[in-house]
Amino acid sequence: MTVLITGGSGSGKSAYAEKTAVSLAGQSPLYYLATMKIYDDEGRKKVHRHRDLRAGKGFTTIEQPTDLPKAVTGLSRGKGTVLLECLSNLVANEMFPGEEICSGVEVEQRVCRGICLLAQKAEHLVIVTNNVFEDGIRYEDTTCAYMEALGRVNTFAAGIADSVVEVVVGISVPVKGKLL
Amino acid sequence: MELYIGGYAQGKLNYVLNKTGIPISKVYDAAETVPGCSLTEAAVINHFHILVKNFLLEGKNPEEFIRKILIENPGLIIISDEVGNGIVPADAQKREYRERLGRLLCNLAEKAERVERILCGIGQKIK
Repeated sequence: MTVLITGGSGSGKSAYAEKTAVSLAGQSPLYYLATMKIYDDEGRKKVHRHRDLRAGKGFTTIEQPTDLPKAVTGLSRGKGTVLLECLSNLVANEMFPGEEICSGVEVEQRVCRGICLLAQKAEHLVIVTNNVFEDGIRYEDTTCAYMEALGRVNTFAAGIADSVVEVVVGISVPVKGKLL
Repeated sequence: MELYIGGYAQGKLNYVLNKTGIPISKVYDAAETVPGCSLTEAAVINHFHILVKNFLLEGKNPEEFIRKILIENPGLIIISDEVGNGIVPADAQKREYRERLGRLLCNLAEKAERVERILCGIGQKIK
């Protein structure tokens, strides 16, 4: 099955997503698809916090900051449960690879293709995304283009997902389908 | 302890006061220069996110503070805005505030007997 998990910064969505992935996997392989690019100490700390959360749970980490379809080749231990964290980083990395800015539509297509491939190849796919949409601020055009692309990717992922969950102050609230 | 969260201007305080019958004189409002009553006497902390923000600005530890308050006042009702549902700010201090408040609310929610999320003045019980 495919599960989409959304929430804001510090909402506890990662911890919930891990719990979900572990319980779906049972005895089968568990993969963690990491999308974060590390630029500084803050990023490093974030990665360490997430690594500590995952420690001892049997995840094989695949670093895939861009080019999601390629991640399929990393499923070296066979079919299993993939935890993809997270779409907001992935879309940002694809859109802003360096100086230039990629078109939101192209990025959307690339990411959605990757999601479809993973959903086919994995037994279970748990996707984490980020609710970046509710601060009521009108950002400049580039950021808006990013938000729009992520919004469409989220909508696509929610469409193919069997279950969509919002995590609020660490509590899971069902949006589509049932809670696991 | 009970936790009530929601976006800006969603009628959280009114919802809580109507529901509980607590008088406004028992509300500690972190957004006011004169908060209304002392924290130890308060039945409700309103604008908890502002309290956390002020603590961080002053270089103080909000987690430790609320832990102590809850020992003295375990039946407290805490009302806070949700601030994490937006674009991650470019400013490091603002990122820290969102992240710390988010984690703090997760911890409080875990301990709370009841958690409600308020939208358009209507409460949705999520715990």
